[in-house]
Amino acid sequence: MVRRVLALTSGRIAVAVLAVIALLAVLGPWLAPQDPLATSDNTLAAASGAHWLGTDHLGRDVFSRLLDGSRVSVLGSLEVALVALVVGAIPGILSVYLGRVFEWITLRLADTLVALPFLLFAVAVIALLGNGLTQAMVVTGALVSPLFYRVARAATLSVARSPYVEAALVAGASTGWIIRRHVRVKVLPPIAVALAQTIGVGFVIVSSLTFLGIGVQPPQPTWGGLLASDLGYLSHRPWGPVTPALLIMVTVWACNLLADAIRDVSGEAGRALVNDRKARANRLAKGRPVSAGGAR
Amino acid sequence: MFTRTTHRRLRPAVRPARRAAVLATAFVALLAPALTACGGGASSATGDGALKWASSYFPAHWDPVVSGSGAQFRELALVYASLTRTDESGKAVPDLAESWEYNDTGDRITFHLRSGLTFSDGEPVDAAAVKAAIERAKKQKNSALFGDLTSIESVEADGLDAVLHLSQVDHQIPQLLGQRVLQIASPKAAAAPENLDQNPVGAGPFVVKQLIPGTKAVLEKNPDYWDADNIHIEDVELVSAPDASTVVSGLRTGVYNFADLDPSQADAAEKAGLDVFVQPGFNASNISLNINKAPFDDDRVVDAIRHAVNRKEFVDKLTFGHGEATDQPFPKGYEAYDPESENAYPYDPAKSKKLLAEAGHAPGDIKLDLVIPSEDPQAEIVQSQLAAVGITVTIKIDKNWATPFFAKDLAFSLYSTTGRDSAVQTLTAHFGPDGPLNLSSPYEPDGFEEAVAKVRQTPLDDPEYKTVLREATRAGLESKALVFTYSSPNLMVKSSAVSDLPKNPAHIDWTGVTVSGR
Repeated sequence: MVRRVLALTSGRIAVAVLAVIALLAVLGPWLAPQDPLATSDNTLAAASGAHWLGTDHLGRDVFSRLLDGSRVSVLGSLEVALVALVVGAIPGILSVYLGRVFEWITLRLADTLVALPFLLFAVAVIALLGNGLTQAMVVTGALVSPLFYRVARAATLSVARSPYVEAALVAGASTGWIIRRHVRVKVLPPIAVALAQTIGVGFVIVSSLTFLGIGVQPPQPTWGGLLASDLGYLSHRPWGPVTPALLIMVTVWACNLLADAIRDVSGEAGRALVNDRKARANRLAKGRPVSAGGAR
Repeated sequence: MFTRTTHRRLRPAVRPARRAAVLATAFVALLAPALTACGGGASSATGDGALKWASSYFPAHWDPVVSGSGAQFRELALVYASLTRTDESGKAVPDLAESWEYNDTGDRITFHLRSGLTFSDGEPVDAAAVKAAIERAKKQKNSALFGDLTSIESVEADGLDAVLHLSQVDHQIPQLLGQRVLQIASPKAAAAPENLDQNPVGAGPFVVKQLIPGTKAVLEKNPDYWDADNIHIEDVELVSAPDASTVVSGLRTGVYNFADLDPSQADAAEKAGLDVFVQPGFNASNISLNINKAPFDDDRVVDAIRHAVNRKEFVDKLTFGHGEATDQPFPKGYEAYDPESENAYPYDPAKSKKLLAEAGHAPGDIKLDLVIPSEDPQAEIVQSQLAAVGITVTIKIDKNWATPFFAKDLAFSLYSTTGRDSAVQTLTAHFGPDGPLNLSSPYEPDGFEEAVAKVRQTPLDDPEYKTVLREATRAGLESKALVFTYSSPNLMVKSSAVSDLPKNPAHIDWTGVTVSGR
């Protein structure tokens, strides 16, 4: 699938952007030219050689804070997506095989989670468990999980009722074997689409929560937190929110682009697309056919 | 067609002049209201405009007993009147009570109420209502005021005379029973406090027409208010300011015409041509230490923190130069501010490090959790200043902060007060053994109790009053539980449609204020 995604221009762009963001997350704190937490008397300064993106209201270097905040922002969104995947996809697949009671309970749970207003629920759980990024992301991941539940369940249902799975059952195959052999292959592509999309959604959620001061304790920088604090000083640094907002926007856009690319190359349509590309490539490789009897 | 022609022919000479006159009249008629509104002054006298007030302190509770004496008392003062109020010099002057007098020994005070007043539900404003209000504030389970009323032993109601029997000689009572501590609600409405909390009924200048909890209150002028003649605002729309950065835009577009202003927005407000002003006040912020808990049980660590604090940084970064540094629970210039105690612990990080070393703490040894209710740049400044002397601070935001703070369970926190009308109340709240702002209860500095008793025994017009008061401040400042940092300004912004407010310190008084119809 990776090769198929990279065959698309949009896929290549998405992967390139996300690779840069991943590098920022890994290397950002080391690349920061100054201590992101060190205050100074030079507050709300304009961009300069010493401070590429200026300084904030406490005199801290904004560029260093952006780099340092990359890791928390990226890890937070990944945490949301992975929690949602685990909490949603596994019960989604199992709901087809573990009987009506399990199916009914998980369906109602998924409905309940969809109905919960996520910000209120996040604030309530954080009030209960304490204000921390892990708590915030686990809560958010649980609230996003119905997406994975439904995607995984829908894909599993279509496989479970196919003749070859029924044949396997008749031949004595176990549920585990069927899931490993048949269901996994069918379920993975839509889940990959949902995962890429959820990482983007996770970014927006992490940014929103940190914008509201939930999840991350000050003075730890995050992209959402920087955006929030910059908005308070618009009259002093009107361009301040541009960089964190752009970073959030580009990352979410790349995630969505990747999700689109995965969708395009997966399933029947994806196979058709790839076959079509192969056919064209073969035609080009063989050269244009020469018509018989043509004039020289 | 013919007729028209005839008319044209009949009036050829007068036509242009008359048309010009008609046009001019229409033009003036159209422009007059707009010009009048722009002028402000002329229409201000009519007082027919609505006040649109965006407040960062929109009351969560409208029962004054529950709301307490914090900053939101200003909003509640729209609805509730008190026995006394303060004038521009900060002295108690008549409000619902037209006069009062102490007995010779100073342990009994009688308030004489104005006659013929009623609450907005029609109940009479009399001594029985005062007695009910005081007793409710002392006894109601969720009262935030009971600690302020310890001097009042009992109340005797006699028609329009409320006689307060005191447990000690206390000349602060008229100062105390103003808007901050005794906003008086209708006893009938207060019989169901949970109902009063969202349906306020008072005898103040305005009556609530509509209240959307936490969001908006719509009020209209109370024609039965005792000073209704001097209230020129007919309608008030009080809304919770959504975000500091939106206030200026709201005022520019006319969504609001009055608001409190974050200092970071002052520059933008001034550039927008709005009227930015500082209302006098008693604001003071502090670092609260619990000396009953390590490491603050060691005086050298407390002194190290005192010397590590650079107050100028708070003023520069948080108030944008509008505030001032203070090392006392009120700003400089206030009558209780003690010049003799000024700068007793100057900023000296080298001395701070030395004290920590003497106490046996290597850099990085001391690790503290600074627990605060919400994100606050103050905390980040404290963190960085203490890091400079080798103390590691972790900021912890606890939405339930109030519970452990007032239960004195925290070791290290921050608090900002808007002060009190009674200087003694400010001092006892910070330094008294049961003071709500004394994180180290039951600790109190030596000699403080005696010094405060002496202030209470001194009439406010006694020539010695200021000296005695400052001695009490000096005694209080021996406390190891508080390190005062800066005084933030009461920064306000209004459009030109709103006339100037009386400069009553820490209050927002609408008496005599007009709003033009813009």
